[in-house]
Amino acid sequence: MKTCIACGMPMTKPADYPLGDESKDYCIYCARPDGSMQSYPEKLEGTTDFLIRTQGLDRQAAHAAAIRTLAKLPAWQKIQKGSDTKSSD
Amino acid sequence: MRKTVRELQKEQTKELLLQTAYEVFSKKGIMNTRVSDIAQAAGVSHGTIFVHFSSLEAMIEEVVALYGQKIAMRTHALAQSSGSLSDLLRAHLCGIMEFEPFYTHLVIENRLLPPGARDSWISIQSAVSFHFSLVYEREFGHNDRPGIPLHMLFNMWMGLVHYYLQNGDLFAPEGNVIGRYQDILIDSYLKLLKGGMTEK
Repeated sequence: MKTCIACGMPMTKPADYPLGDESKDYCIYCARPDGSMQSYPEKLEGTTDFLIRTQGLDRQAAHAAAIRTLAKLPAWQKIQKGSDTKSSD
Repeated sequence: MRKTVRELQKEQTKELLLQTAYEVFSKKGIMNTRVSDIAQAAGVSHGTIFVHFSSLEAMIEEVVALYGQKIAMRTHALAQSSGSLSDLLRAHLCGIMEFEPFYTHLVIENRLLPPGARDSWISIQSAVSFHFSLVYEREFGHNDRPGIPLHMLFNMWMGLVHYYLQNGDLFAPEGNVIGRYQDILIDSYLKLLKGGMTEK
């Protein structure tokens, strides 16, 4: 079983993949409508908004938690070292 | 590259220490545990612990991250097939029940734990809130439910469950809070929710 490199979600069925493409290492929630992976700023904003919308966290606390959580995921480790801010697909 | 016997032994010892720490934390509590308690339970010397972890704090962070991920993954797996909010709430409680003593200590102590463990706590809650939002929107649509925001409905459920776990010594001294109260927790919450919707 693969887990998404950009958010850590387990991917267990075709519907979990962008456009059903099981060769991808990221999930449908980390993809743009064209199937490419979201950039770090997009994912950071999405994660922050998710924490606020579903758990009601304070915006600043949610933003800080999102930064720390994303830092542990393979897709964003380079970004934490400051070497890459572009998306990949 | 193949691992040497020494490397394999090192990995096995670390796994043993993580598993043992999890068991000791489940019994004694996380902040109440000393390195010597884990060393004794695992049958290793005090020094062996520090070969694998730089400090007790680092060990706590790693145990909470590992078992937090197991709890989140189990919740995710159980929640995947939830067709209704009732199914999802049951899946959530089943996921907790498998780890109840440890999870209860997380509920009680998480504000006091090292920052990394606090992040693992948020990740566990996110696995639940993700499915909660999907099922809720599927079941009740995108309109503003009984005039209550989604996060407030989620937090009401979490508050209820965590209150029972936090005070488990009063609700279920035998140590089986979820098993004993799951039906009434789910039923009461759903009745309140649906009653609120009817009134609107």
